[in-house]
Amino acid sequence: MKSIRLIAAMAAISATLFGQGALDPAKLLQQPTDTWPGYNGDYSGRRFSPLKKINSTNVHNLSLQWIYRIPQGVPGATIKATPVEVNGVLYFTVPDHVWAIDARSGRELWHHTHQSKGGIHIGNRGVAVYGAWLYFETPDCQLISLNLKDGKERWHKSICDLDQLYYASVAPIIVKNHVLVGVSGDDLDIPGYFESRDPETGELQWHWSAVPKKGEPGFETWPNEDAAAHGGGMTWGTTTYDPELNQIYLGTGNPQPVIAGKGREGDNLYTASIVALNPDTGKMVWYFQPSPHDTHDWDNVEVPVLFDGKVEGQNKKLLSMACRNGWFFVLDRATGKALVSKEYVKTNWAKGIDKRGQPIPDPKKEPQFDGALVSPNQGGAANWPPPTYSPDTGLFYINANRAFSVWYLYDIDEKPEGWGGTDRGGYTEALLQAIDVKTGAIRWSHKWEGSGGRSGLMSSAGNLVFAGDTSNNFVAMDAKTGEPLWHANLASSVSNAPISYELDGKQLVIVGAGDSLFAFTVNEK
Amino acid sequence: MLAQAGAADKHIIDAAGVERGRKVYAAECVTCHGPSARGAQNGPDLVRSLVVLHDRYGSDIGPVMKKGHPLQSGAKSANLTQAQIEDLADFLHFKVTDTLRSSPLFHAQNVLTGDAKAGEAYFNGDGKCSQCHSATGDLKGVGAKYDPVDMQQKFLFPKPAFGRGGRGGGGGGKQTMVTVTPASGPAVTGVLDKIDDFNVSLRDKDGEYHAWTRSSSLKVKVDDPYKAHYELLDRISDKNMHDITAYLESLK
Repeated sequence: MKSIRLIAAMAAISATLFGQGALDPAKLLQQPTDTWPGYNGDYSGRRFSPLKKINSTNVHNLSLQWIYRIPQGVPGATIKATPVEVNGVLYFTVPDHVWAIDARSGRELWHHTHQSKGGIHIGNRGVAVYGAWLYFETPDCQLISLNLKDGKERWHKSICDLDQLYYASVAPIIVKNHVLVGVSGDDLDIPGYFESRDPETGELQWHWSAVPKKGEPGFETWPNEDAAAHGGGMTWGTTTYDPELNQIYLGTGNPQPVIAGKGREGDNLYTASIVALNPDTGKMVWYFQPSPHDTHDWDNVEVPVLFDGKVEGQNKKLLSMACRNGWFFVLDRATGKALVSKEYVKTNWAKGIDKRGQPIPDPKKEPQFDGALVSPNQGGAANWPPPTYSPDTGLFYINANRAFSVWYLYDIDEKPEGWGGTDRGGYTEALLQAIDVKTGAIRWSHKWEGSGGRSGLMSSAGNLVFAGDTSNNFVAMDAKTGEPLWHANLASSVSNAPISYELDGKQLVIVGAGDSLFAFTVNEK
Repeated sequence: MLAQAGAADKHIIDAAGVERGRKVYAAECVTCHGPSARGAQNGPDLVRSLVVLHDRYGSDIGPVMKKGHPLQSGAKSANLTQAQIEDLADFLHFKVTDTLRSSPLFHAQNVLTGDAKAGEAYFNGDGKCSQCHSATGDLKGVGAKYDPVDMQQKFLFPKPAFGRGGRGGGGGGKQTMVTVTPASGPAVTGVLDKIDDFNVSLRDKDGEYHAWTRSSSLKVKVDDPYKAHYELLDRISDKNMHDITAYLESLK
């Protein structure tokens, strides 16, 4: 009931403020059908499409509808963004660039270029849309708002400090009248934070620090003020939202210094954690820390996926994450209490779990001067490419890696700073794991031949899971069994996560591979 | 430029300036701020200092000195010349780079901590290494070929590494073989060219290319010569790893 009132209120706001062509905010609260309104589709992070015109019985007829290739002259353009689709237009990014293209035909409508002042250009996850306005982050620490209709800049605001080697790559998320932005950067020992900005002006609404100050809860997990104040915990993942609980969920990155942890004894809250915040105030409601005192660069910024389920006969609001450290968790998202804590690939760094359900790191598997053989490696069992959850199968799907490397400490200084070491070498198996959310058990596992590419996923009511393999194939699989049913080789690895929408009675599946977006459909007579 | 961290207009470090600045630092700053500029009992960490990080060629460090800052020689900081301040800026920015993942200071320390005799026992016993290798055969003199950290990588990860996870053990010379048997014809064996869920291809002994669409009636048998190394990763302890490294290094 509360949701219905919220939808009505948001629709009224939209009509008043923006008129035709704008995103109806109510779309953000619905499963994605004719619209893919945000990075994850709806707020749940499930990336589940309720569409089923394309399904496991006809997917063998899936065929190419169009290709959009980024024009030459955009260096290093790999599409890691999940496109947003609003009123028949797709909006997507690579660092410093935004495009609007016709969602039916792939024809370019506009292209916005930002003149960069620096920063790491490793990738950009995409845009957020609020009414008739669009928002994206840039490597040089800007949050920029454009007009949806023509790509003209409305304003830009600095959200981080390039001189401290922060940069920005996150797809912002809109919750009510908040533009939620995270930041990136783990070269220097700097604190992570998360902010809410005013969609009209870009002004700061609230600021949440991933590391506590003296006297605040969590400070006891740091040895001193200096360590905490420089403790890392970047917020470069994505955010999900439960409008009924009025909580947003996000992950935080590794603590700093990254590899050499001797100057930051303790659990290092709230780094490498999942946190629930109030979207109106930024106040933390609960936390859960999958990697206490991380020393392996295992940013815990994978997607916090929301769904409901029965636990001991009671309906519960749940949250799942398949973490970079190789562990899968199901939490009660009202409280953060762990219900399932289990590896989804075999690892060797934890001695077990504590009473909260958090893994207990084995100190012997921290990086050593003479090396420690650890699984997973630095890239992790999972990374930013999004997983998917299908309410039809009750399975959580993740493109996973089982990987080993040897972790070395390099920094012999009394006070290690920055990185202080790294891992070397590696053996990697690539697997698509289908996890039963009730138990954490692997229901089916599909091992890809070879290793390398690791794509995002989408599931659908057509009993399908769409994935990229390690050989440049875009693959549709039977969601119940994992059997590959269809594929197309795209000449580059799938580099983002697929989306789907239906326009004029036709369902399309869109995926990015390298510098191109591909659209597929099942043609009817 | 765009791929690098930091601002496009950041301070560009001058190597000669670093060396001059090192002398200024040693004469006036090291007692309080420590040899690595990461702070000491009487002075704060300068690598994490916002004054240093925001500085360009003395733009922010200079005013602090001009305002008056204790120097260990007892001299007045306001009397430091502009050239000295710029040299100091070069040195402090250089100390910041010491902490980056690309730091030239970062290299493997002593990994030869194992027991060569225990390594030999593992090699011939639980490690099952001697089933394929011999200290007097293929591994004769191997200790002279690789330094210890590369040796450690080489026997754990003989195939080149994929993706993130640092530099690989690299360059294994053995090729993966594959035998493909179609329902209708004889088996074909060769060097695996490419395999995925949908296709498989190989080069036969004459270098001819063969490819098939995979199906339930097509038999594919892959023979990866490094399989035993992959299996070892789940069994080997860190002690075994260090012992084997020491043993292989002893085979000069």
